[in-house]
Amino acid sequence: MMKALFSSPLFAIALSVFAYMAGLWLNRKTHLALFNPLLVAYVIVISFLIVFSIPLEWYEKGGSFIDLFLAPATTVLALTIYRQRSIVRQHLLAVFAGTIAGSIASMGFIWVLSRILNLPEDIAFSLLPKSITTPLAIAVSNSIGGIQAVTVLAVIITGITGNILAPIVFRLFRIKDEIVQGISIGTASHAVGTSKALELGEIQGALSSVAMAISGIITVIVATVVFPA
Amino acid sequence: MKYLKQLAIVFLFCLAGESISFFLPFTFPSTIISLLLMLVCLLCNVIKEDTIKDVSDFLLMNMAFFFIPAGVEIIEHFALIRSILIPFILIAIVSTIAVMLVSAGAVALALKAERRFRK
Repeated sequence: MMKALFSSPLFAIALSVFAYMAGLWLNRKTHLALFNPLLVAYVIVISFLIVFSIPLEWYEKGGSFIDLFLAPATTVLALTIYRQRSIVRQHLLAVFAGTIAGSIASMGFIWVLSRILNLPEDIAFSLLPKSITTPLAIAVSNSIGGIQAVTVLAVIITGITGNILAPIVFRLFRIKDEIVQGISIGTASHAVGTSKALELGEIQGALSSVAMAISGIITVIVATVVFPA
Repeated sequence: MKYLKQLAIVFLFCLAGESISFFLPFTFPSTIISLLLMLVCLLCNVIKEDTIKDVSDFLLMNMAFFFIPAGVEIIEHFALIRSILIPFILIAIVSTIAVMLVSAGAVALALKAERRFRK
């Protein structure tokens, strides 16, 4: 009976939707970046699976349907860039300088720090694409030999860090320019950081979302060239 | 019908990306090929924003939801994560701040160069 219920693909989809709704609700109520909707959804789904001792394979019967939308969700990021084309054209040099320097610095830092702290290679590969948006990070992780679930976790921690610390970093280092703020948040902390950029201002929000998409593409290209499978 | 048609168009881009990636002599994520393909088609007016707008906004707005199963797999790596948790979180946080500063510095330099060039 339990098996019939919990191993149905519909169960996994319903559980995921409710967990995500709970995450959105908690985030809206508390306004705390730490209650990231995706993070809350994970904790709920994972706890549920553990409490009712439901094997991961049962959950994945429905999970694979949700996974199916990863590729389309990545593809339509094209629209995000397209919609910001006039602001990109206006600040072309700044956008490319910030995203290229940031993406390369990100991978360099992570590689060096992982070596210093002696992390296993698959963990280092999973961390490498962590500053870019989740669907692109998953694609990189899979193609260079990382563990996709570890990558997703690193991406979430990065987003929350950027979201919380961006205003503090800007105050500490006296970064006041709207263009500088927008591009650096999007490059360092993807969509979760972008939601903070939108709070800082319209220009910051627009540039952050476009920097997120462009630094994602740059990271994919650099990572697959430097670490070919 | 409108939504089904838009969804089918987005799926067609994904399929095109997958086919191209299959024939590439090196590994490159197919989803990025479809993204670039769609961007080029939009910029060159091959497709209009309206052709894919509603379904794209649905996907973009609920983006995070689609990553839940990909992340839930972490259950299988609990032991591994626990053994490296502190350096893992440390790297994630420190590198985020460092990247923000490098990126900000590069943008500031670019803006300065641009202003000087315009004068």
